[in-house]
Amino acid sequence: MTVENNKSIDNELNSKFKLFSLSRVMAIAMNTFTQLVRMKVFYFLLIFSVLIIGANVLFLNFTFEQELKILQDVSFGAMTLFASIFSIVGTALLIPKDIEDRTLYSILTKPVPRFEYLVGKLLGILFLVAVSLLLMSILFFAVLFVRQHGILAEEINQMRGQPSQEQISSLREDIFAQGLRLELINGVVAVFLKAAVAAAIALVVSTFASSTLFTIIVSLVIYFIGHAQSMALDYYFPEGDMHGALQRFIAGIVAIIFPNLQIFNVVDGIVSGQSVPMSLMFRLTGLTGFYLFIYSFVSWVIFAKKEL
Amino acid sequence: MSKDLPTAVQIKNLTKIFPLPFRKEKVVAVDNLSLSVKPGEVYGLIGPNGSGKSTTMKVLLGLISATSGSSTVFGMSSTETASRGSVGFLPENPYFYKYLTGAETIAFYGKLCGLKRKAIKERTSELLNLVELEGARDRRLAGYSKGMLQRIGLAQALVGRPKLVVLDEPTAGVDPAGSRKIRDLIMQLKEQGITVILSSHLLEQVQEVCDRVGIIFEGKLVREGSLKKLIEIEDQTEIVLENAGSDLLKKISDLVNQESGVNLVRSGRPRTTLETLFLKETGGDSKDARNDS
Ligand SMILES: Nc1ncnc2c1ncn2[C@@H]1O[C@H](COP(=O)(O)OP(=O)(O)OP(=O)(O)O)[C@@H](O)[C@H]1O
Ligand SMILES: [Mg+2]
Repeated sequence: MTVENNKSIDNELNSKFKLFSLSRVMAIAMNTFTQLVRMKVFYFLLIFSVLIIGANVLFLNFTFEQELKILQDVSFGAMTLFASIFSIVGTALLIPKDIEDRTLYSILTKPVPRFEYLVGKLLGILFLVAVSLLLMSILFFAVLFVRQHGILAEEINQMRGQPSQEQISSLREDIFAQGLRLELINGVVAVFLKAAVAAAIALVVSTFASSTLFTIIVSLVIYFIGHAQSMALDYYFPEGDMHGALQRFIAGIVAIIFPNLQIFNVVDGIVSGQSVPMSLMFRLTGLTGFYLFIYSFVSWVIFAKKEL
Repeated sequence: MSKDLPTAVQIKNLTKIFPLPFRKEKVVAVDNLSLSVKPGEVYGLIGPNGSGKSTTMKVLLGLISATSGSSTVFGMSSTETASRGSVGFLPENPYFYKYLTGAETIAFYGKLCGLKRKAIKERTSELLNLVELEGARDRRLAGYSKGMLQRIGLAQALVGRPKLVVLDEPTAGVDPAGSRKIRDLIMQLKEQGITVILSSHLLEQVQEVCDRVGIIFEGKLVREGSLKKLIEIEDQTEIVLENAGSDLLKKISDLVNQESGVNLVRSGRPRTTLETLFLKETGGDSKDARNDS
């Protein structure tokens, strides 16, 4: 009787509790997203619009190649900046705040494994970054579309006499080749992937640091070193010189602590007209997945034992 | 039968030591504390500030780990996340996401408890009604007063229909009327067979709602027992007579006076109050723990 009673109660509890529940993770992710949206982060879109429209107005007298290139440089630059800031500052702002305000008490005393909390937070931030990039892309592509048609009309106007149909279509081809094209989407995806790695870095830092400021500073330092990492590795271990096990080990550790973020910078190539091989995009995606996994795991190891 | 049920809460030889950063000394917050709470019981944890009440609760809920000793909830170790499936917790000075409205807050915690969409909707209305916050359901928590936050905290603790409710100072910062309502709510929980552990500095309330009380002082459990037993005065005897005439009373009093060393104290209810006992046990007052009148 006793044993049966115990068992039935245990079973009831166990059947209610799932080791991993997507709906709990999504609840935390959507809550994080809502939190950031209600902090009015989307006002940044105004700044973004001002930037890309300003870039247009300022460089009106340049050749059309230059004008289109500047528009794309400015847009991708701003997208990278905003996406990275959201990733790092968003993560650094929210997790230490949950700890400081003790909001975590009420979350972790629900049947929520600590791992799910971390994954939920990370997903929420990534969701916000994705939505912001989507909105920025729409603005960017719209402006680009309007400008390339505007430029085409201007160029035709400047032509002496009546240009032939052939001339017009070759001109259109020249201009549009540097305007709106599918390749740009790869650029946006690469910006997102880099921001995702940055968010994961900030996640790890925020699990052991308990202050927002410290998290932001340390994450930014890692972020910047990440951009120079490959140069340093190349300098110390030139390509052919990587045979020592110790060297490879050190290089591996460095690559994990300071992920190579430089290789995510495909936008410069795209803007200057190169195309990105699909294999590189797959590699970047795989690399991002790898870093997200490793960093989530490390932050869980730190966070699982954390005294709250 | 009820003996066979697993205890709701079993804390065994719990010690929690906080190391102080950059210093040699440590804080012993809880010192070899053992207690158990039976299902359906309302257990009051009382003690002065810094005596280790909140720390004990945090270990019980897995927020911090015990330095030594163990704690279980319905037979499951507090270190297992699954043990939180049957628990609701109201932290002291609760603080929630202030950009969420009251209803969104309850819904959020409902989702974490694994409730389905329809159940969440029902439960939200039910609970906001219970804690009398229907009027503020669509207002953001940023604009809630302290007492309102305390009440939304209570609602949040109950959202998953817990079998054990842990309340850390549920009436702190709540006005007398609100505080009485919270007391009534705890009574309702008790009627539903829900186990409650609460800590409070309002001893009168503890005396009203709790079946058993533990007094913590400097991390140690110095007194524990059923409330009735605790406030009973051991060296006095109460004789309750019905329809006793004044003659009889005089006879009794004469009889008592004949006996040397026995005095007729004459007290309708020779009981101390929990407050006096509390002050005695925790060294807050050197006076005898008895009603002298
Ligand atoms: N994280 C911590 N680090 C260091 N010391 C701590 C920590 N948490 C609690 N303490 C110490 O442990 C002791 C017990 O604290 P606790 O919060 O459990 O007391 P309490 O009984 O809840 O008091 P109160 O009635 O004021 O809420 C105190 O001396 C406190 O300073
Ligand atoms: Mg306390």
